[in-house]
Amino acid sequence: MTSNSTPLYEVRSVSKNYGNVVALRNVSMSVGAGEIVGLVGDNGAGKSTLVKILSGVYSPDSGELLVEGVPHVWKSPHEAMAAGVETLYQDSGLALDLTIGANVFLGREKVKKGFLGKLGFLDQKAMDQEAADDLERTGIAVHASKRTVGQLSGGQRQAVAIGRAVAWAQKVIILDEPTNHLGARQAGEVLSVMKAAKARGLGVIFISHTLPHVLEVTDRIIVLRLGSVVRNAPTSEFTAESLLGTITGLHVGTE
Amino acid sequence: MNKESLTSGAPTRTRWTGAKAVVAASLAVSSIALVGLGSASVAGASSSKKITIAFVVGAEADPFFISMNAGAQAEATKLHVDLIWQGNPSQYSPSTQIPVVQQVTTQLASAKPSALVLGPTDPKALEPYVKVAVKKHIPVFNVDSQDASLKNITGFVTGNNAQGGQAAADALAGAMGYTAGKTYNVVVGMTSPTATTNVLRYDGFKAEIAKKYPGIKILAEAYSQSSPTTANTNIQNWLTEYSQSSKTPLNGIFAIDGTNAEGAASALQAGGLACSKTVCGSGHVALVGYDAYSSNVSLLSSGVFAALIAQDPYQEGIDSVFNAYTYLKTGKLPKGVSKTTTLPNVTLLPTSNSTFLAKYTYATA
Amino acid sequence: MSIIVDPVQESSFEKPDRSQLWYRRLLANQQFLLLLVTIAIFVFFAFNRHVFASAGEFGNNVTNFCTLVLLGVGETYVIATGGIDLSVGSTVSLSGVVGAIAMEHLAMHSELLVLSVGTVVCIGIGILVGVVNSALIHYARLVPFVATLVTWGAGAGMCLVLTGGAPIGQNSGAIALTVPKIWIFSYPALIIIAITFVAGLFLHLSRFGRFTFAVGSNAFAARAVGINVKRQVTSVYVLSGALAGITGMFVYMRLGSGAPTAGTGQELIAIAAVVIGGARLTGGSARLSGTVIAAWMITIVSSGLIFMNVSPNYNQVAVALLIATAATAQALRKSARQSS
Repeated sequence: MTSNSTPLYEVRSVSKNYGNVVALRNVSMSVGAGEIVGLVGDNGAGKSTLVKILSGVYSPDSGELLVEGVPHVWKSPHEAMAAGVETLYQDSGLALDLTIGANVFLGREKVKKGFLGKLGFLDQKAMDQEAADDLERTGIAVHASKRTVGQLSGGQRQAVAIGRAVAWAQKVIILDEPTNHLGARQAGEVLSVMKAAKARGLGVIFISHTLPHVLEVTDRIIVLRLGSVVRNAPTSEFTAESLLGTITGLHVGTE
Repeated sequence: MNKESLTSGAPTRTRWTGAKAVVAASLAVSSIALVGLGSASVAGASSSKKITIAFVVGAEADPFFISMNAGAQAEATKLHVDLIWQGNPSQYSPSTQIPVVQQVTTQLASAKPSALVLGPTDPKALEPYVKVAVKKHIPVFNVDSQDASLKNITGFVTGNNAQGGQAAADALAGAMGYTAGKTYNVVVGMTSPTATTNVLRYDGFKAEIAKKYPGIKILAEAYSQSSPTTANTNIQNWLTEYSQSSKTPLNGIFAIDGTNAEGAASALQAGGLACSKTVCGSGHVALVGYDAYSSNVSLLSSGVFAALIAQDPYQEGIDSVFNAYTYLKTGKLPKGVSKTTTLPNVTLLPTSNSTFLAKYTYATA
Repeated sequence: MSIIVDPVQESSFEKPDRSQLWYRRLLANQQFLLLLVTIAIFVFFAFNRHVFASAGEFGNNVTNFCTLVLLGVGETYVIATGGIDLSVGSTVSLSGVVGAIAMEHLAMHSELLVLSVGTVVCIGIGILVGVVNSALIHYARLVPFVATLVTWGAGAGMCLVLTGGAPIGQNSGAIALTVPKIWIFSYPALIIIAITFVAGLFLHLSRFGRFTFAVGSNAFAARAVGINVKRQVTSVYVLSGALAGITGMFVYMRLGSGAPTAGTGQELIAIAAVVIGGARLTGGSARLSGTVIAAWMITIVSSGLIFMNVSPNYNQVAVALLIATAATAQALRKSARQSS
């Protein structure tokens, strides 16, 4: 542990069962401000369950979630978002028929001032401008915020999704497989967005199967196996081989 | 007569077919329930050893059949026979009628009806089931519409649509103040170019005009497809095209069924062209409609309709039950009644007395 | 350190529509094409029958348009969420019938009171049908097609039960109100046109409209950002029902009576208008202006065919052809966009 203060976002002794199947057993983890934490594990290790608990989709059977030391219970992903925890889902996080600007502001639309605003009329101009600025700030140049997301390529869509999450995240951003289906160059750009988010003081939780990416960008790596945390250590303590061994359990890493 | 046998075999009740199709899906279940109900009452009837007449029509919810039911029921009560009244609530189609007929004819011997009165929804589709009934010694009568061949049918009571069309032509000519040598422009609102009732009435209408009113010119027909809204649109467009200031001002409308009557009446009122009880001359369009719905009858008294031609479903119900009863008792149709009875359509006028109007206004459930 | 992805895409990404010529942009706009076709159809009919271009006939067409357009508006909202509402036709009939029964009971009161109560009853019935539709979708977990098929059949059946198959009431005062008073517009027609306009503003410029499209485009994403998807879908079906109720009242006024088959088949024409107008049946994409132009086009095609004394069956064929053409145009444009 590098941080000596209260972590930004923390789970303590969280467990989750589906009927007789234990998905998570007594899992604890945390992320600090300006820290990128990698969350890795084989299929079925419990990663997606943990992500859904972190983002407020599921409630844990037992255990606690704390934001800056204060316990929270999420009734919906929206509550987590309101508390500053943004999640970028593996796919299907964007409405393809809406414009880039509309997607960035989806669910948080700005309305016009006065009577029209009370009726819910949108201040589209302000949103388009702000969306472009936000994306620019996170390192994504989107000049045509009036295009629909469906008109963009896969890499561009992912860029918009990440840009949106980073733009809205006040504290923590959870990225679930953000480099999936991307070419090497686009993946590299996603990683640099993560670094930019870190530089802004956000806590980043990065879930990925692509171990070189994890090793490149994270400060700390948490390895899940069969629903439990088997290792939680600074990235510098891992090599590609030892990380793979820890994930599969075929090799016990040295301390 | 030759023509009659060619065309009148098809169902004569087509007015609400659109609506019937609409409800088909949702009411399939209830028609099954009705069949079940029917079998129960048949069984109950046989135990009292009374004469039981099964009466199967097309669409029970149609005011036409509601009136027919009332007539049949009244006659059955008078003669002390049991009446089993059945039909799909609203769909006028052989696919829903056949199971009902099947159910009636496949009753156990102890529960089978003494006679079957059937208004076939299709001239051909019901014939095999009629044969089954006859084989089981259930005499079969037709009402309103007929099977393609009357070979297996004991008796048939129906309205006379061709004569109704003629009566409409006479009423329209009268309302327009027809004088020989002058020209009168007329349009005809129909449901479809092929519906049997429409064709028979229209043929009668045209024949009468050719014979007696050479000055009447039929400018056009329009088709409502069972929708009063469409009928209204059609007439509205004709009123614009043949406006009173044009070279061919419209003088009269023949609305061939209840739906068209409703649509035409409202279009005339909207256009300010409807006749009133006192005035119906130039600048007005005379309207003769068909079918005595109570809403149309009320417009008769205000003069919007110069005449309404009505069928007599109540009498069709009475005659059918009486014919069946007499045949069961004596082995013959009543004296003086031939195999096919054609009841004339009646002409309702603004001057008709209220008892007369009430008698022919179609019942609602 | 900007993320700009593959260079091939770059130019189109960076430089939006500016590279396209203005007329190419216009021709790629389905609503504009639709408008051109509608004008062409009008000119064709007007040449065949000069009365077609008269104010009187325009007035007729406005009245007919008003019996269709609100159904198209409701259907546009519903289809934008990826749903469909088959119940609107029988809701027109049902609301008209129930409204007529209510107005019959009030017949001795002032015309204004009678018609106001009738309007409220009609809208109420429409809202009720919308609530039942969304309850079937959310609680009985029926897909919209099946849920609204149920209410469609039930509504049509109820009409026959309530009326015994015959129209209810005779209200000449109501008929008189549907006569054009201001040029080619009657007062109810002006109200309906105003509602259409406001509905268009809300669909394309308000948060309600934005949520409607978001739900149809990606319900998961909408839910994830905190949009109450259930509530949005419910509102949209209730809106569609209410608009069908208003149409039911309008049709009642046209006919002066509540007819059990007044709205028969209208649902398919409304859906046709939405599809011809350029909406995608899978949701997420629709233009109300397209629906409105298409509704006008269908209206004048129907009228024109009456003038040419064509069998109504050809009217259906004509609408079918328009749908096929619109759908093909949409598919062609999409494939052109993808290959560019």
